[in-house]
Amino acid sequence: MTDQLDSISKALEAMALEVVNLEEGDIPGLGKTMNMVSDLEKLISGLPEPAFTKVLEAVKGYVEKLILAEEQDTSPLAEGVSTLQAIFRAMTREEPFEGDISKVLSRLGQSGQGSELPGEEAVSESEVEDEPSEGQPEGAKGNSTSELNEEDREVMADFVVEALENLASIEVNLIELEQDPEDADTINAIFRPFHTIKGVSGFLNLHEINKLSHSAESLLDMARSGQLAIDGTIVDIILESVDLLKQMIEGVKQALESGQRPVCEHDIEPLVKRIQDIINRSEELKDKPLGEVLVQKGAVDKEKIKEILEEQKQQPNKKVGEILVEKGIVESKEVITALREQKRVRKKVDLQVKVDTKKLDTLVDMTGELVIAQSILRQNETIVSVSDQKLYHALNQLHQISSTLQKTAMAMRMVPIRSTFQKMFRLVRDLSRHSGKKVSLKMFGEDTEIDRNVVEELYEPMVHMIRNAVDHGIEEPEERKKAGKSEQGLIELRAYQRGSSIMIEIADDGKGLDRERILQKAISKGLVSEDNQLTDQEIYNLIFRPGFSTAEVVTDISGRGVGMDVVKKAIEKLRGRVEIQSTPGKGSTFVISLPLTLAIIDGIIVKVGGERYIIPALGILKSFKPQPSDYSTVEGRGEMLMVRGELIRLVRLDQIFGLSESMKSPWESLAVVVEYEGEKLCLLVDDLLGKEEVVIKSLGEGLKNVQGLAGGAILGDGRVGLILDIAGLFQMARDNGRQKNHALERVA
Amino acid sequence: MAVDTSIKVLVVDDFATMRRIIKGVLKQLGFKDIIEADDGTTALNELKKEKVGLIVSDWNMPKMTGLELLKRVRADEELKTIPFIMVTAEGQKENVIEAVKAGVSNYIVKPFTPETLSEKLEKVFAG
Repeated sequence: MTDQLDSISKALEAMALEVVNLEEGDIPGLGKTMNMVSDLEKLISGLPEPAFTKVLEAVKGYVEKLILAEEQDTSPLAEGVSTLQAIFRAMTREEPFEGDISKVLSRLGQSGQGSELPGEEAVSESEVEDEPSEGQPEGAKGNSTSELNEEDREVMADFVVEALENLASIEVNLIELEQDPEDADTINAIFRPFHTIKGVSGFLNLHEINKLSHSAESLLDMARSGQLAIDGTIVDIILESVDLLKQMIEGVKQALESGQRPVCEHDIEPLVKRIQDIINRSEELKDKPLGEVLVQKGAVDKEKIKEILEEQKQQPNKKVGEILVEKGIVESKEVITALREQKRVRKKVDLQVKVDTKKLDTLVDMTGELVIAQSILRQNETIVSVSDQKLYHALNQLHQISSTLQKTAMAMRMVPIRSTFQKMFRLVRDLSRHSGKKVSLKMFGEDTEIDRNVVEELYEPMVHMIRNAVDHGIEEPEERKKAGKSEQGLIELRAYQRGSSIMIEIADDGKGLDRERILQKAISKGLVSEDNQLTDQEIYNLIFRPGFSTAEVVTDISGRGVGMDVVKKAIEKLRGRVEIQSTPGKGSTFVISLPLTLAIIDGIIVKVGGERYIIPALGILKSFKPQPSDYSTVEGRGEMLMVRGELIRLVRLDQIFGLSESMKSPWESLAVVVEYEGEKLCLLVDDLLGKEEVVIKSLGEGLKNVQGLAGGAILGDGRVGLILDIAGLFQMARDNGRQKNHALERVA
Repeated sequence: MAVDTSIKVLVVDDFATMRRIIKGVLKQLGFKDIIEADDGTTALNELKKEKVGLIVSDWNMPKMTGLELLKRVRADEELKTIPFIMVTAEGQKENVIEAVKAGVSNYIVKPFTPETLSEKLEKVFAG
């Protein structure tokens, strides 16, 4: 590769020299040129650069015409060679060549129809390249079919994932950049993703994406070389580009899902033009990354580079490297190595394997099964009865290996919560702009890992809580000043692991929850009665009740008709909990606790009518043996148990699942108090068998729609237990009594 | 610029008639010292014996083609600077290109007039 670039560079130089002196009918000279073309053809093979090949082909054709005296003018040749040099420079920088080759091609006689074999192809391709925006459907490439082949699809699918990741990283870095507009690392970190997207989309013929990312890249390139100062306008326009690119890439994604070639429906021209305007306005210096590399290498000092950059203004066609070599400041070898180094830095990629999440899920499931299978084996009666040291040793080893394997498989599905947190930066920025409140966001523990299936579900609730914090928590700047706080409000996102739970906190330093207002609202909405004695905590929790909203003014930010109940539901769906801590005047904190993974739950195994059920431990408040005095029936509400002065509806699990004909008296059984959405139920069970981590298995089609069951699990002894769906049980209890009536009928 | 007609010219062609025609044209242009060879191999022998100042060779010859001869000449330290004009037939563009790449001084397409050869010679000796 290196020798190759070197040789090409030399060959081009020699050729440029040759064609300058070339005269009409100079056969030996033309012969030399011809040989140089052939050499170049060989050198360039393996370096895919269509523009170079096309121009070289045209040059060759023109030399032939000169030889055959079909053409007399040698000047197009010189143009051709200098174009080749320009393309080569772009190649060494690993950038697609952006110049217009159609002119030089037509000068070299390649614009006519089908003169030589490569001519036709070159023409049609160059048209696509020269005018990418002219209604060319994205990915129209040569083949006429709109169907994508397997390989294209795979490449594009990878691109979609990669590009979206890249765009997400741009957003975060942009916010950072706004804080510190001169930070070269940050600018670079924003530049590179655009560069990557531009490069890949070019190969994939996604012209609009390519063009827009190129524009944004150019803008950042100027910032990078210090020709452009980053300000709010520029951050805004880059964010706009990110948004539009996202939409376009989503379009590609959708097209892929339907197996079609992506067609771009977005008009990028206005945005591209605005970016170009900014670039034009501040076009003073040219990019100097090569200079930077050379300075780093000690080949030249900073002052010299500055001089050269000044000089370059007069010769905008020349690259820094060229001028340096021309002036004898740096040897061409050094420029080439610097270019190569530049390339190496840009090429650095982490070694990764992308795995289909379905496969990952299956792996996690299967390892879970493996753990259970080995557990079954260990508890097998025959094996237990054998007293053989070797067998026990082997079983222990099997146990260790399978549990390590399970942990590893689980870990594979864990992703840092960072990306979800990062998305919030953008949100807070937009919210604070719209609301006129000043808010900054800080994150802690963003490397905390969480099941990727959980992460996806976490986004919406977090957005809602952050909206809520900005809208209701953080005060107006004036108000904050009066309260002796800094004008800028602060929201902190924290993530950490506690036991087998992931904790996520969203804390604001705003005014805190207004206890009285919440209570008044709840009373007016009939959620609680006036004589209820509620603790602060209970009052705060009222905001999670459906239909509750304290915002008097519906703002465009959070007034979307969704309350905090949606947040709570979403979290509970993930088998998590959300709690509120609030101090008047100091702020509020929403604490979300989530299970490490969705595949495994902590369950309390209970015995009901000879069957075993698993109650998710998260929803259980307590269990106790009721006394006859605790039991009562309330007209219209059915059987109740008195628990610490509170009447809680009793649910007979054996009746619900039709396991028993007779009604046991509650004091012969155990009561398990479960909570859901602030309501409580007493589940009557025969016995508590213990606590166990179980791998959740979905129920087959037949049992899927049975109310009150969330899934099944194979227990340690190899038998199957059914997992109760707490939310479903509450729903059943609420449904005024089909089950209850059913149960009463049985009693009667 | 006038061409020095006192130099020895080697005409290579497997057809005697063709050699004669070329000789005639060269004589018209003032060349007097003209030797002949009927294929590449004999041409190389002549070149070893005589001090030749110009080669005019046909392309299409048995045993050793004009192109092969050209290549041998260009590869020979003593002979490589000798101007070499290749004579080709119409419609043999590829041959021309080949010859040009192999370092021919110029080429001429049959049939040609004395004027055309004169022009080509002018160019060869001007360069």
